[in-house]
Amino acid sequence: MVNLNTIPPKNNRDFYIAIGLEGSANKLGVGIVKHPLLPKHANSDLSYDCGAEMLSNIRDTYMTPPGEGFLPRDTARHHRNWCVRLIKQAMAEAGIKDPTLDVDVICFTRGPGMGAPLHSVVIAARTCSLLWDVPLVGVNHCIGHIEMGREITKAQNPVVLYVSGGNTQVIAYSEKRYRIFGETLDIAIGNCLDRFARTLKIPNEPSPGYNIEQLAKKAPHKDSLVELPYTVKGMDLSMSGILASVDLLAKDLFKCNKKNKILFDKKTGEQKVTVEDLCYSLQENLFAMLVEITERAMAHVNSNQVLIVGGVGCNVRLQEMMAQMCKDRANGQIHATDNRFCIDNGVMIAQAGLLEYRMGGIVKDFSETIVTQKFRTDEVYAAWRD
Amino acid sequence: MTLPVALYSAPDGVEKNFIPTPDDPRYLTTEGRTTGPSDHVLNAGQIDRDKPSDPKYTADGSQLTYLSQLRTQLTGLQDDINEFLTRRMELAKNKKKAGAEEKRIQEEINQLLDGGDGEEDAD
Repeated sequence: MVNLNTIPPKNNRDFYIAIGLEGSANKLGVGIVKHPLLPKHANSDLSYDCGAEMLSNIRDTYMTPPGEGFLPRDTARHHRNWCVRLIKQAMAEAGIKDPTLDVDVICFTRGPGMGAPLHSVVIAARTCSLLWDVPLVGVNHCIGHIEMGREITKAQNPVVLYVSGGNTQVIAYSEKRYRIFGETLDIAIGNCLDRFARTLKIPNEPSPGYNIEQLAKKAPHKDSLVELPYTVKGMDLSMSGILASVDLLAKDLFKCNKKNKILFDKKTGEQKVTVEDLCYSLQENLFAMLVEITERAMAHVNSNQVLIVGGVGCNVRLQEMMAQMCKDRANGQIHATDNRFCIDNGVMIAQAGLLEYRMGGIVKDFSETIVTQKFRTDEVYAAWRD
Repeated sequence: MTLPVALYSAPDGVEKNFIPTPDDPRYLTTEGRTTGPSDHVLNAGQIDRDKPSDPKYTADGSQLTYLSQLRTQLTGLQDDINEFLTRRMELAKNKKKAGAEEKRIQEEINQLLDGGDGEEDAD
């Protein structure tokens, strides 16, 4: 049993308020979350049911032209120039007038992520902390996703599939840590989809992965998949070879290379595969690999719940495939959130940071706020879990 | 107001103080010369919607607000630091290049003096 009420709320209030600042990639998020102080949290294992209220959840995404990714320097500039405006907007929406009196803790993403954007946001967090005299808590980005997913879906102890532009991990909780059961050996699934979107030169708005999903829905030849490498290695996966393979096919398609027998009919030279078919086959192939390792992790830990988090978790086809697998297992349940909480956001950092704060974990010296590009999920001691 | 200052020191003994000159136009803007979008994204057709907000003036319009003064002076200071560090990096790069060239010539001379005819790898 854990006591989530170790630190009382500020000024004898009966609730906590946390601000979360997220900026590990191209999304800048500011979120404000409120937890009521409840006696049941004093001796329980209820970190998935805090009664959290999202007072504001504002996000601004750094956008680049079609065919371009986001560079660290320009992404950091975006965060630097928007951070104050977003914090002001979030506070106005949440009705916070005096943060010195009203805010219990400022939570920021300490890693993993891109160094320069992380750095822009932590400077804002440190400044607010000094300005308002409010303590800081550094949050692991992956833990933010997990805790937000648990709070929203009320999944008590799920196997977590964390799929985003920078991460692909299958995670399960054991002995005060979120343990990584399987992960990518090279690039993340979102990175694979984004880079293919760049090859296709499709827009980055609202997100490259979303646009691939929409193209895949329109595939005319769903009954015959284009063969791509299937690279599950034990509990891990590899996706760089799949990307190279599908990239090559797309380039041959654009060049109208009739020698390519996968794309064009050997005898008539007629086109057999469209761009939409490539998007569909890529998705099916990648998602099948994810479903396979997730199912194996569920068997390992004897769980029947799956929680999908991260930006790629919004993909409806992935949710469908995972739901099918869960249905085939006895009483399996799938939990997913919508794009407000799936895609990187500030409230998830506030949620995980507030759990840590309520257990007494705050930054004691600014040297502890140094951000880090490499910060594995299992490095975090989850004091708030039993 | 007190001016913001920056102090640079390096293990090779180089030290430099950066102090803004409040009336110089480079310390009166929030758009720095070195803090804009990179050339790469501009060439790719990026429209810059991430500019910093303009500095604000006091109600009577006579001068910049305290925070805006700080922002503009820091923008100029950041430019000074970036330009100084870029120069330092270029110097270091040129030194390294010159060193590599010197090493290559020396190796060639040594080889000739040793009677090498450049065919030792032929087998």
